[in-house]
Amino acid sequence: MGAAQQSATGIGSENGTRVGPAGASAGVLQPHTVGERDMVQLLDAAGNRRHEDTFGPYVDELDAKTLRGFYRDMAVVRRFDAEATALQRQGELALWVPVVGQEAAQIGSGRAMRPADYAFPTYREHGVALTRGLDLADLLKLFRGISNGGWDPRENNFHLYTLVLAAQTLHAVGYAMGIQRDAAADSASEPAAVVAYFGDGASSEGDVHESMVFAASFNAPVVFFCQNNNWAISVPFEVQSKVPLVNRAGGYGFPGIRVDGNDVLAVYAVTQWALDHARSGKGPVLIEASTYRVGAHTTADDPTKYRASAEEEAWRAKDPLQRLETYLRAEGLADDDFFAQVKNDGDELASHVRRATLALGGASIRQKFATVYAEAHPLVAEELAWFENYEAGFAAADTQTSQGGAA
Amino acid sequence: MSTSNIFKLPDVGEGLVEAEIVAWQVKAGDIVAVNDVLVEIETAKSIVELPSPYAGVVAELLVADGDTVEVGTPIIRIGGSAAAPEESASPATPADVPAEAPAMKPLVGSGPKADAVRRRPRAGSPAAVEAAPAAPAAPAPANRVLAKPPVRKAAKDLGINLADVAPTGLRGEVTKKDLLSHRDQQAAGPAAAGDFWAHAPGPAVAEDPRIERIKVKGVRKATAKAMVDSAFSAPHVSIFVDVDASRTMEFVKRLKVSRDFEGIKVSPLLILAKAVIWAAARNPSVNATWTGDEIIIKHFMNLGIAAATPRGLMVPNIKDAQELSLKELAIALNALATTARAGKTQPADMAGGSLTVTNIGALGIDTGTPIINPGEVAIVAFGTIKQKPWVVEGEVVPRWVTTLGGSFDHRVVDGDLSARFMADVAAIMEEPALLLD
Amino acid sequence: MKTMTIAKAINEGLRATLANDAKSFLMGEDIGSLGGVYRVTEGLKAEFGAHRVMDTPLAESGIIGTAIGMALRGHRPICEIQFDGFVFPGFNQITTQLAKIHTRSDGQLSAPVVIRIPYGGGIGSIEHHSESPEALFAHTAGLRIITPSNANDAYWMIQQAVSCKDPVIVFEPKRRYWLKGEVDTENNPGDPFTAHVVREGSDATIVAYGPLVPVALAAANAAADDGHSVEVIDLRSISPIDFDTVEASVNKTGRLIVAHEAPTFGGIGGEIASRISERCFYSLEAPAIRVGGFHMPYPVARVEEHYLPDIDRMLEALDRAFAY
Repeated sequence: MGAAQQSATGIGSENGTRVGPAGASAGVLQPHTVGERDMVQLLDAAGNRRHEDTFGPYVDELDAKTLRGFYRDMAVVRRFDAEATALQRQGELALWVPVVGQEAAQIGSGRAMRPADYAFPTYREHGVALTRGLDLADLLKLFRGISNGGWDPRENNFHLYTLVLAAQTLHAVGYAMGIQRDAAADSASEPAAVVAYFGDGASSEGDVHESMVFAASFNAPVVFFCQNNNWAISVPFEVQSKVPLVNRAGGYGFPGIRVDGNDVLAVYAVTQWALDHARSGKGPVLIEASTYRVGAHTTADDPTKYRASAEEEAWRAKDPLQRLETYLRAEGLADDDFFAQVKNDGDELASHVRRATLALGGASIRQKFATVYAEAHPLVAEELAWFENYEAGFAAADTQTSQGGAA
Repeated sequence: MSTSNIFKLPDVGEGLVEAEIVAWQVKAGDIVAVNDVLVEIETAKSIVELPSPYAGVVAELLVADGDTVEVGTPIIRIGGSAAAPEESASPATPADVPAEAPAMKPLVGSGPKADAVRRRPRAGSPAAVEAAPAAPAAPAPANRVLAKPPVRKAAKDLGINLADVAPTGLRGEVTKKDLLSHRDQQAAGPAAAGDFWAHAPGPAVAEDPRIERIKVKGVRKATAKAMVDSAFSAPHVSIFVDVDASRTMEFVKRLKVSRDFEGIKVSPLLILAKAVIWAAARNPSVNATWTGDEIIIKHFMNLGIAAATPRGLMVPNIKDAQELSLKELAIALNALATTARAGKTQPADMAGGSLTVTNIGALGIDTGTPIINPGEVAIVAFGTIKQKPWVVEGEVVPRWVTTLGGSFDHRVVDGDLSARFMADVAAIMEEPALLLD
Repeated sequence: MKTMTIAKAINEGLRATLANDAKSFLMGEDIGSLGGVYRVTEGLKAEFGAHRVMDTPLAESGIIGTAIGMALRGHRPICEIQFDGFVFPGFNQITTQLAKIHTRSDGQLSAPVVIRIPYGGGIGSIEHHSESPEALFAHTAGLRIITPSNANDAYWMIQQAVSCKDPVIVFEPKRRYWLKGEVDTENNPGDPFTAHVVREGSDATIVAYGPLVPVALAAANAAADDGHSVEVIDLRSISPIDFDTVEASVNKTGRLIVAHEAPTFGGIGGEIASRISERCFYSLEAPAIRVGGFHMPYPVARVEEHYLPDIDRMLEALDRAFAY
């Protein structure tokens, strides 16, 4: 476990906060903290490959097509994100939650998953959705106000977005415990694991703690993937924790890895490692991906009110796409044609999403009556009947106004 | 393609209602692609760039820099043009930008909408409203009268049994109107009095249209016969006594609020009935029958209560009234009255009476000369109890006073006995506690 | 027919569930080796194994949240919350997640989780162990709530809750855990979401549920001495409420009393009284009267007898109803 926790620079760097008394008395916690500068990195901000013993091998074996694929995925999801933001500014969406800046953390971890694995996102994992094979246009229904879901999670093993922070981490652990039960009942069932996504803000919620307690107690096959994008709306990470979040894993007794969240290769590698660990019955892992929320929290937010543009600029210099493009070009793995094609792919997806969004029908209040309960319910039936009768009492109006709820 | 599109100011921040136009980035005549930045706006939350939803040539800027504009206001018109679309940042073909989105127009804000201040126009027939506001409740079981609570209370106050009233309400309930017209019919006199002198109702009679004929039959015929038999066979002597019944009134008041008597109607008649039973025990001859050969004295009291019923005057009696506790007697009196008012008194109820009370006070009468019920030798008339001046310890004070009247068959009950009987009844009315012996 | 206590009946019902439904399992604090603080799960771990009777960490939100995850994976978790007063850390998961998943997923996902909660007072206990929080959950669409008052219902309703596709909270009246009754293990008493008339009458209706059903029956018997014929309804299901049964009864009797241990203010009694006032308006001889606890946090054991609705409080309500 020690090796896995060490970054290339070694553990317990002098940046780590000392948490206990000096000396090594029995029963006294030693400050083996992973510091701010400690993280697994295989591709630095300038696009140079870095060697690393434990995780390097996971990437060394990847072919060029896969590497180009990482770039394409990140570029396409960034383009999608820009289109969704524009749609909100045009009044087509009530709100949009931008993912810009976090593409590597999501594409890297998403691509490490297998089809049988299951992901529990927060509400910003549009990149993971792409890797799970969703039609990204489905993500917009929630923000258009016609559904609180938008897709069938069972089709792509990608759960609905959960807006109550951290609630999904418990569901993820439970799902993983369910996988354990299935494996116990049928040893031939395919090993699978769950990835529970959450942010630095959510990490303060009690549910995250409880989910880690349960995961540890039951040795559940779950990877806790924390995208520490350094901001919880306007509250900076220092208010959530004085030490990097990865250190909490030690408190629960399972491995923790801090990774450069803007390095898609490193993210991919550590997630592979973690999923292998979980799938093979060794229990949970916490990954803290250090990244940055380049955009606002949502389109209703204004970061100029609480953070310095200098900070944003510093992080833009560590952009995940830029470094990979530099590397691919330098290694001769991708050329102008490739990047032009990627741009086209992005524009096509954007166009598709725009078209699909504008074509979305309204929501139906009648459908809401029908989906409160799975089984017939007398009060719901009665209220629906009342509503039908009530509506019938009005003169036939122009029922084209969508969101009012006719249809 | 050449139709123009209007872009209305959207709500960019979850509930904003307006924004200020900071700086247009385009002018009329410029060619724009989808998502090209059109304008910078400032909202309550921040400064935001608005990207174009349409491709085409800018036809007209509809608001100016510096204007404060409400969400939903058209801010720019962009005419579709043949050249523009292919240059766009996103390959938005004309098909991508429908002139009118078929299913859903652009949102103009997700925040609070203005309340509607006009009622939605209703569909033609108001019957639709009546149809089933709340799925009509199942009809009440046959033995239950339906009525709104205020009507029930009014009925109680008026002393009317709802079961007697013909209901005309939509759901089969007795309405206030039904109740009142029932009451009016009962007191037909006063209501009809105005018209009375004009003409007689019913089929016109040959000799004079002002003459009304009512056939005598049924109860009225029988009652008449009984009265004649009684009045002209038994020599009636009537005597009267005034009594201060204040303590009775107080006692009744206390009974009404006692837990023991909750839900049971209590009136001074109850005390009078008890008094009569008590007095009869001390003066047995009043509780008897004259056969000519014998005087049959009954050592039980089947107390008759004269009652006005829909079919006429009847005298049902309470069997073995002497056995009943005060509460039981109250319940029996109520049951008797309810049954009589509903017209359900049975012949057996009216047979075997030994002494009768007639409650003329209910009609507002002070006292009277009652006619003895055939087969009995005494009848007590119970008149109104009202406040009258009375002398108490040398002072004139208002007290609740009533005049008790009694008629007696002089063949059986002589003056002395009748006087003692009446005095005994009066004594109880004056001091109900004497019943406690 | 067998005679058993309510606690034993639930135990048997759980046993039958675990035996019949391989996907079902129990999870909660102290339910395994200890058999539950009220011994309701006694012997089940020994019989079915730790895998089916799981002692969880002490974390109510964790219990409900992981149960949701397991249900999403196709299993049927039966959670136990040790005491009514401790459900609140799990309130978020119950109301924002469990109740809403079916709607949120446009009908595609179900989370058929059962949550068993001992509730109610009258056991002379310390703070937080005598609550009646059912109204808070009833007000949350997407949940179903039932409460058995007798051994037979206790045996059957837990099983029916597990086979229901919607999330169900089963409130178990803890002061009645030792109440014995006949259990017919062959014939199920029908739809758990219906009310039962447990005593017929013609002059007034008392609606009660859970721990107060025996008290309502006692009050009805006492009222008979006063010459009043009182009908008693065991509501059994708090969400949905079987209004048809209550309405038919009040249309017959004309008077309604609703009784629950939970405070009168904001309680289920208000919902029923209001509904009956509307539906049975023309049959009412008296306004609907509610009997419940006072508007205060559940009081200390030494004074709880003054707080809890008992036979006298119900008779007082009946007296008022008959005074109209």
